[in-house]
Amino acid sequence: MAKAITVKQLKRQENTAGYLFASPWLIGLIVLGIFPILMSLYISFTNYNMISTMRFIGFENYRILFTNDNLFWKSLGNTVYHVAIAVPLSIVVGLALAFLLNNKVKGMSIYRTLFYLPNVVSVVAMTLLWMWLFQPNFGLINQILKPLYDLFGMEPIGWYLDQNLSKITLILMGLWTSGGSMVIYLAQMQDIPTTLYESAEIDGAGWWQKTIHITLPLMTPSIYFNFIMGLIGGFQVFTMAYIMTSGGPSRSTYYYAYYLFDKMMADNAMGMASAMAWILLIIVLIVTILALRLNKYVFYLGEES
Amino acid sequence: MANAIKYKSKKKRKLIVHIILHFVLFLCSLVFVFPFLWMLFTALKTPAELLRGIQQFFPADPQWNNFLRAVQSIPFFMYLKNSLIVVVLVVMGTVFSATTAAYAFAKLRWKGRDKWFIVMLATMMLPIQVILIPTYIMYAKIGWLGTRLPLIVPAFFGGGSAFYIFLLRQFFKGIPRELSESAFIDGANHWQIFVKIMLPLSKPAVITVALFTFMGAWNDYFGPLIFLSNPEHWTLALGLRAFQTQYGGQYNLLMAASILIMLPTLILFFFAQKTFIEGIKFTGIKG
Amino acid sequence: MKKLTAFLLAAIACFSLIACQPAENERITIDFWHMAPVGTAAFAPTKAIITAFNESQDLYTVKGTGFSFWDYWDKINIAVSSQTAPDLGLSTLDDVASRAEEGVLYNLSELLAADPTGFDVNQFYTNQLEFATYDGDLYALPFTATTRVLYYNLDMFAAVGLTAADIPTTWTELYDVAKQLDIVDDGVIQQLGFDPTYGNATYHGWLWEAGLDFFDTAGNPTLNTQAHLDILNWIKDFNSEYTRNQLVAFGDANTMLGINPFASGRVAMMVETDGLYQTIREADVDFEYGVTTIPIPDENGVRVNWGSGFSIELYDNNDGNTAARQGAWEFLKYIMSEEVQIELATINGWLMAHKGAMATVAADDPITARLVEEVEYARDKIYIPYAPSWHGNDWQPYYTQFLAGEITAEQCLQNARNNYLQKQENYNATH
Repeated sequence: MAKAITVKQLKRQENTAGYLFASPWLIGLIVLGIFPILMSLYISFTNYNMISTMRFIGFENYRILFTNDNLFWKSLGNTVYHVAIAVPLSIVVGLALAFLLNNKVKGMSIYRTLFYLPNVVSVVAMTLLWMWLFQPNFGLINQILKPLYDLFGMEPIGWYLDQNLSKITLILMGLWTSGGSMVIYLAQMQDIPTTLYESAEIDGAGWWQKTIHITLPLMTPSIYFNFIMGLIGGFQVFTMAYIMTSGGPSRSTYYYAYYLFDKMMADNAMGMASAMAWILLIIVLIVTILALRLNKYVFYLGEES
Repeated sequence: MANAIKYKSKKKRKLIVHIILHFVLFLCSLVFVFPFLWMLFTALKTPAELLRGIQQFFPADPQWNNFLRAVQSIPFFMYLKNSLIVVVLVVMGTVFSATTAAYAFAKLRWKGRDKWFIVMLATMMLPIQVILIPTYIMYAKIGWLGTRLPLIVPAFFGGGSAFYIFLLRQFFKGIPRELSESAFIDGANHWQIFVKIMLPLSKPAVITVALFTFMGAWNDYFGPLIFLSNPEHWTLALGLRAFQTQYGGQYNLLMAASILIMLPTLILFFFAQKTFIEGIKFTGIKG
Repeated sequence: MKKLTAFLLAAIACFSLIACQPAENERITIDFWHMAPVGTAAFAPTKAIITAFNESQDLYTVKGTGFSFWDYWDKINIAVSSQTAPDLGLSTLDDVASRAEEGVLYNLSELLAADPTGFDVNQFYTNQLEFATYDGDLYALPFTATTRVLYYNLDMFAAVGLTAADIPTTWTELYDVAKQLDIVDDGVIQQLGFDPTYGNATYHGWLWEAGLDFFDTAGNPTLNTQAHLDILNWIKDFNSEYTRNQLVAFGDANTMLGINPFASGRVAMMVETDGLYQTIREADVDFEYGVTTIPIPDENGVRVNWGSGFSIELYDNNDGNTAARQGAWEFLKYIMSEEVQIELATINGWLMAHKGAMATVAADDPITARLVEEVEYARDKIYIPYAPSWHGNDWQPYYTQFLAGEITAEQCLQNARNNYLQKQENYNATH
């Protein structure tokens, strides 16, 4: 007769197992991660100039950022705008691509690889190319749209040279790397049991109904993932503006992370830059915790009882 | 008779859908392929043609030997070896530490789990630039500068893996609890459940993680730049930077080398995504 | 057990063999960072220079590591921040004072006093030496010198009947000549004579020629006189007969992938650095060209141009390693000697800071000689602690807005000035 085991012992076993499995990551965080993180927090309370001076100045950096810094609010506003539009848009596009490519038609492998190509190409090469394509005067896109412009009698769109459209232009360009989220959606789609589709078909469901009632609900784990990651990543948007528009025109694409970068590299104001980083962390943390509440709408196949 | 007609029109409808699908895909892929074509054409140009930029999109006299020159200008095979050493270890380490942590977050109940989950997400929220100098100072103090350790060790301890941990957690949560429960009743411990049930069933996700990690490590020039002081340890991505000099540089060689470096990732991706659709066949719940 | 013992004995034997190597003469390793990484044309010759030094004596071994120009600054800055800087390295001349103040550089005047034959200070330009001096002592040596000149395309001159005698020397002449060289075809600009914003021309460069600047001697921002406004408007109005769209289309076509409008034969005259000469030579252009002093205002003009340069510095990691410092000093003397400077100029195409060396290099190259002549009148931008990038990040956005016609000249100068004032205020609050 096997020794009886209590629920309490089982729970304790699971507790231990949990820590054991999480231990590589936990150890890494505490041993290798804590020092840099805490040091950067400390630096945010100093006037560190990256060479050697580091004098404690309390909340001065934070005070200045919130009350006496024109670009702080401008750059934050640009970033929030970007997040609000880019995140939903990229989810839609990523899903669309995944649906388009999730079938057994011949040649899908090649198409999938081609769609993923922009993620592999160097960011610099891609950005320069988009600069050329979207150039308002001789870029390919405005050339193609010329008949439309003539038809409606409107000025060619200024794309990244128009301060009202620059952020949207950068977001459009960013959609080229949707191949990344597409891959994750494709992977998720493989986990959907075909039996579900089969029984739905027997009940007479068409493509649309199958999508709404089976596919999308079962894709919520990865949609949720891309949403949260989109938020976190979106708040740190920087690279394309740096290469392409230098934050312009009229600081319309001057994002928070770009301003942070300038504080560090151009002004040597590492203390201030660290303060900006920690402010960003708090903001994103709050937004993310709110977003995590959406977890209740996520349908995990493994959680149904 | 009616059934036969129904069957035929269904087939015809399928064919039309196929054609439309191919057409749409073809157009879209042109758009996605464009940057690569640009890189290719730039790689084949002469320095004089480079100077004329977009006025000359197509190279007049494709210099295929630019690829050879690019490879010969730098110690290509030494860099390749270094890249492989770093990348293989990083992929191994990341897959190990990310899957284990993800399993803990997804399937196990332990004290503080949800709080640590938020901490994990928070590690992605601090811009890396402000961590850089403190990290460097830390490695200087423990004497890891001048070695490859700063690039490799963090991978085995979940460093920079928050993205993957979260991703895998989502996929692990999608695996039916009955599977692990019945295995548990049969006497399996958590490790066995993890290795024999969780991992195989999450193959697409794990492969995705491996692929993305590979790509990130393979293309990373900044990490090697900052943390590798010995040029004999330099990776391909870092070695390429030699082609970008102060006043422009040899863009044609840069593009040629960049394309060569891109190829492994593309090939890996091609084979990796093939396994997606092949799916996982096993008796029981899934088809 | 026997196997284990044998193995252990063998291991011990191996280790002792290694440990008991006859000690080689204990050369001290000196780290030197430069900008010619493996893969560039300059790598092998740079290595040869270093090897020659190593073979010429047996006290020190210099180990050179090259990083690409764009990565070099990340590397050196983080190394200095973490006190893991190399023994010798290159940096920018204009902010030597800030590093000297922090105590991360060795005092070269002291080393020179102890070893007066080290190098001849008179071989360097006084304005460059000024930047390398802090609190009366030298903390770096000028390594390279850059300058800005007016490049002109003689073929385009000839096409409209102009000769070398018509090369402009004043702003009025510049305008007159430039207008003759514009070519517009069906509303699209094909060729532009000159534009004060193209190439490496800067607002502060034009200001300096009129005796003005962004800051006064106390480091406070100026930008508030009529003269400042006039020059700003002059820059914008130079090509005002064309629409904004035409100019942007022409300009953007130039900036894609860094093609140079002068080198690709689209602009007749352009203000550029000496670096363009190297690019032109490498691209093997097919037109006649030359360089000359940048034209100056008709009245009270000052012959000056913005030139900077790299510095070469000995880093003090505060580890009391005087042996390494001595070795770095020896290598510094070697690398700043005339022969080596000539060598460096030849392999990199740089203008070195050593006057004697450049005189030799320029002997059979009239353009280089002309460039060297202008270095005499080059001036570096001053270092403003509260706005180190005053000419870049803190100025460009306003300048671009103004050029695009979105704000007026008054607004541009006012906004820029207010920004400097705010930065000054914030800097003082935190220091």
